[in-house]
Amino acid sequence: MISLYMTGNSWAHRLPARVKLLFLFVLSLLIIPFNTLWFSAALLAFVVLLYASLGRQGLEKVKAVRPLLWMMGIILLVHVFLGDIEQGITAVLRLLAMVLLANFICITTHMEALMDAVEPLFRPLRVFGISPMRMSLAVALVIRFVPVLLAVYASLQEAYKARTARANSWRLLAPFALHAIKMTDHVAEALTARGGADGFDRS
Amino acid sequence: MNDTSKTIIFDHASIERGGTTIISDVSVALPDQRVGIIGRNGSGKSTLVRSLNGLLPISDGSLVVHGVASGEGAKKLARVTGFVFQNPDHQLIFPTALEELSFGLRQLGVGKADAKAQGLALLKEHGIVELAERPVHELSEGQKQLICILAVLIMEPKLVVLDEPFSSLDLRTRAALRRKLEQLDQQILFVSHELDALRDYDKVLWIEDGRIKQIGMPADVLAAYEDHELSGAHLHFEGAARA
Repeated sequence: MISLYMTGNSWAHRLPARVKLLFLFVLSLLIIPFNTLWFSAALLAFVVLLYASLGRQGLEKVKAVRPLLWMMGIILLVHVFLGDIEQGITAVLRLLAMVLLANFICITTHMEALMDAVEPLFRPLRVFGISPMRMSLAVALVIRFVPVLLAVYASLQEAYKARTARANSWRLLAPFALHAIKMTDHVAEALTARGGADGFDRS
Repeated sequence: MNDTSKTIIFDHASIERGGTTIISDVSVALPDQRVGIIGRNGSGKSTLVRSLNGLLPISDGSLVVHGVASGEGAKKLARVTGFVFQNPDHQLIFPTALEELSFGLRQLGVGKADAKAQGLALLKEHGIVELAERPVHELSEGQKQLICILAVLIMEPKLVVLDEPFSSLDLRTRAALRRKLEQLDQQILFVSHELDALRDYDKVLWIEDGRIKQIGMPADVLAAYEDHELSGAHLHFEGAARA
């Protein structure tokens, strides 16, 4: 099963998960007023520099954004159609920067640390009977399984291409959904086999 | 009289999946330390062993695993029974080996630092401490399956169930992992199509169409199974409907 995490002991690996998440949160708010092409380009360059600071292996991880490029293309085309190319490029640069920054946090943070960082945010939900541990595990699993789902889609594309010589089709959506559902079953089973999302009774 | 604290007891147990009865009226006591389970694809082997961990409920009759009755709930069964799945990719939830191991301990209430230290110690004991921080998707199939087994063992179950865990591994890796299993103190229940792997076991259970076809010493049961399955009359595809 594919995971995002990149082994290492860089400055980014050592930075507490909470600090990294807070940085992402603040930056995602900051980009709203600074809605210019140059700021977005500088932001993307800064994020790429963060990857470069992890070395060659880190820079390779920028490729993680590849599966999203078609979506960026559509966003750009819509803006071209609306006659605002600059705004389109700005939007694409901002999106790429934020996705890459989120990915940067994922590749340099242990899932356990991520769970510990987000769990306090869910504590108020206790009054509604919702377990914060369960919620933090859910968040961590979503992050954990995004690349897995992308890999599943890529394998379906490969199988389709092998028989049709075409790389993509809407026909892949149904089997992809079935694979995703099956995968949730497997994850649920693996969790249940070890005490479920809330763990064992510790009393 | 068996010591029920170390025995698996199915008493007229039936198991349904999706409204279909997969296991019918099975009664057997298994006090033996190493038990092999054989049978065709779809015979009900996986369904039977999944009930031991509480992954599937007993719909009729009863099950007692090392003193814990199925009626006490799935979590109680999961606490005494460790389960190693056929496909390690279905079992490994966490992105690194060490997190996978420490997760089990944290489920038991062990603190983060202790869980990590115990995980590292177990990896060290098995000579694979260098895998601790490696992303699990970079590991070989054999390494992944070993991590799955260790993730189960670290929780100190009384019974370890292995549901065809070595089917995708090469010969050398299978042999190495089997040697690891031989050294365990826990009761082992090993579902396998590799008959040779079960020849040294204490008992073999042959499941057919959701019922026990034969139970006994490996030499007898395996020979009968081979005769039955390889006789010309049965050499066609069937039984794929059951999990």
